[in-house]
Amino acid sequence: MSEKHKTIGVDLKRRKILTGVTGVVGAVGATFVAVPFVSSWQPSEKAKAAGAPVDIDISKMQPGQMMTVAWRGKPVWVVRRTPDMLAKLPASDAQLRDPDSQESLQPDYCQNPSRAVNEEYFVVVGICTHLGCAPLYRPAIGSPDVGADWQGGFFCPCHGSRFDLAGRIFQSLPAPTNLEVPPHYYKTATLIRVGEDPQKEGVA
Amino acid sequence: MAHNTSEEHSSEPKEGSLLGWIDRRYPLISTWNAHVAEYYAPKNFNFFYFFGSLALIVLVSQIVTGLWLTMSYKPSAAEAFNSVEYIMRDVQWGWLIRYLHSTGASAFFLVVYLHMTRALLYGSYKEPRELVWLIGMMMFVVLMAEAFMGYLLPWGQMSYWGAQVIISLFGAIPVIGPDLALWVRGDFIISDVTLNRFFALHVIALPLVLIILVFMHIVALHKVGSNNPDGIEIKKYKNEKGIPLDGIPFHPYYTVKDSMGAVFFMILFALVVFYFPEGGGYFIEAPNFEPANPLKTPDHIAPVWYFTPFYAILRAVPDKFLGVVAMGAAIAVLFAMPWLDRCKVRSIRYRGLSYKLLLTMLIVSFVILGWLGTQPSTPLLTKLAQIFTALYFAFFLVLPFTSVNEKTKPVPERVT
Amino acid sequence: MKKLVLLFSLLLVAPLSVNAAGGPSIELEEAGNNLRDKDSLQRGAVLFTNYCMACHSVKYIRYNRIARDVGWTDEEVVEKMSFGQNSVYDYVLTRMPEGVAMDVMGVLPPDISLTSRVKGADYIYTFLRGYYQDEEGKWDNRALVGTSMPNVLEDFQRHATEEDYAEAVRDITNFLEYVGEPSKVERLDLGWKVILFLLVLLLLTYLLKREYWKDIKH
Repeated sequence: MSEKHKTIGVDLKRRKILTGVTGVVGAVGATFVAVPFVSSWQPSEKAKAAGAPVDIDISKMQPGQMMTVAWRGKPVWVVRRTPDMLAKLPASDAQLRDPDSQESLQPDYCQNPSRAVNEEYFVVVGICTHLGCAPLYRPAIGSPDVGADWQGGFFCPCHGSRFDLAGRIFQSLPAPTNLEVPPHYYKTATLIRVGEDPQKEGVA
Repeated sequence: MAHNTSEEHSSEPKEGSLLGWIDRRYPLISTWNAHVAEYYAPKNFNFFYFFGSLALIVLVSQIVTGLWLTMSYKPSAAEAFNSVEYIMRDVQWGWLIRYLHSTGASAFFLVVYLHMTRALLYGSYKEPRELVWLIGMMMFVVLMAEAFMGYLLPWGQMSYWGAQVIISLFGAIPVIGPDLALWVRGDFIISDVTLNRFFALHVIALPLVLIILVFMHIVALHKVGSNNPDGIEIKKYKNEKGIPLDGIPFHPYYTVKDSMGAVFFMILFALVVFYFPEGGGYFIEAPNFEPANPLKTPDHIAPVWYFTPFYAILRAVPDKFLGVVAMGAAIAVLFAMPWLDRCKVRSIRYRGLSYKLLLTMLIVSFVILGWLGTQPSTPLLTKLAQIFTALYFAFFLVLPFTSVNEKTKPVPERVT
Repeated sequence: MKKLVLLFSLLLVAPLSVNAAGGPSIELEEAGNNLRDKDSLQRGAVLFTNYCMACHSVKYIRYNRIARDVGWTDEEVVEKMSFGQNSVYDYVLTRMPEGVAMDVMGVLPPDISLTSRVKGADYIYTFLRGYYQDEEGKWDNRALVGTSMPNVLEDFQRHATEEDYAEAVRDITNFLEYVGEPSKVERLDLGWKVILFLLVLLLLTYLLKREYWKDIKH
């Protein structure tokens, strides 16, 4: 009787191991099978094409002018800032939530005081970081709807968020971070490519 | 000893466990026991008994791959063809999902035909399993409709013209025919309207019906218990615990065996998916890589291989309407098997020579008709199709008479 | 007995593979192209651009896909195939303006992205090499009698050796077969790995089955 139990005991152990190994290999196989299905949700070539980088010709821009282009269905602004505008930027630092853009979204090469590659041209995604409305461009000092001490920037009419001319959010306002700066670089002195980092193959 | 009882695979949930909590509110464990761990199946299942579980696996695969295709496919005449090429080229791994689905369609029919062959070999349609057979036959008809509608979706030349031919058959029905064809199409010709509704039926309605029928099929089977290659009733001899002496619990024995069978099947499946997805032009027909053109008919309109036996029967009859009747009868007559076959012995192993010859004639005729269905009509081939159509039907017409007094061999009491 | 029947049925299936597509009426020359030969694909793409793209589009493939698969950079493909005119994301379309083909030739040159899947690579190869002049000096094609397509490679053939001409036609055929199914090589390369994995799993499930079935006495 005990012999039979001994045989059964060994069998059980072998069965457990075999079941375990087969189970593990089967699970690995199941994971392999899942890969195509999960990956198929990644942007298709069509989506990537629609989201392709956009080239912006800035040769005809006037100082203080703002241009809007569509990139990945979002508005991207290019603002030609005057030296005056640039000079005034540091003055607001104390009133900003994230003056050094530590918490905000921008490429590494735009984490600087003017949040740009070339400080004269400001490239930014025109979507309020609060709930996604499109802010208004209010470059003039003391614009009527924004207030007498307004030094120029962007004003979001939905919930009152205000950003300076480097897209930085002021304190005590709903938007949590500065306006997002997209990856971009200068193909030529007058052609900005938005949606791609410099010296990198392919789409950002 | 029939099996090792020291290893219990039916379970009682542990005290205080999550499983216990669920089981007190939902019959999880009792269902597991009744249908898996304590469902006693005959221990002598052979090769032909793999195909039920394989059919289930293919069904699941078709649903999952089909669902994924629906995420990118566009069911309009203007966009359908392009969306398939979009899936093949632009969607990450789209080509693989597409080939899994197209190969799965052919695999489904191969598996189902072999599954049905098993029933014919071992008398699985006989009393008390007539309902299992009838539900299975209903699934076969639904599967054919599902495949037919699915084939229209790529909107290729063969999609369009294959559907054109088959739907015009409806038109051959006397009196109501043309109106019926119009109603099925939803338009005067096969159009965007037809495509969209076939899409809805293919993606939602018929899969739902299929799933319900699978459930019923298994419930009906489990009520009476599985047949086996010897065709004997294992419930006749039970031990003191009421367990059939020739029965073994489905889990772990058949879960383990079917897993092995499934993996082997997957290897064959993978060979096709990765190396012969077009199946020599039989799984994905070459003309279907051309967008549907209502003004240009392909040289040869042939249905996909799994319909060709019935297509051959259709063409064999010179009259359009009677051809439709013959084709329908070829399927309908299968429903009657439990009552046409009057032999008391279930399995071919113990049946008379007449049944062996008749079944061979049926299978050979079916295969040859299948080949004939792929060929263009010539007078010689039509004559051949007529002969084999006659032989096909002869099986069903002769069987009631030969099966009554078959010279059967003695049926064993226990499985061999 | 049953096994014999099954075997017989399987044997019947074998010759079916020969005539599935409803073959063309003439004997086809073997293209002998190799989809893994990227140099050939590159040459084929350039030949396509110079000899075919004036009338034919391959609208289901994008420039960047071609670049990725034949070994060009995004800049190179746009330079070589569209002379800098297109974005690398664009589909490869014909340069012929709309309506011109109908006016000049009376027929619309079809898109040829999928020709290799409808007719096969050997057909394309045979067609391109199948031009001949009849007694009146009119051009016709052995593979497609009465074709409206001119013999675009006539000049090339006249100035090339027989070998170079055959290679050029093979390169174009290779490129078009690639365009027909760009993921073909990826599919072939993945296949054996999947099957190898499944063979390992088969061994394990077989051992597991055998182990459990030791319990069963027959």
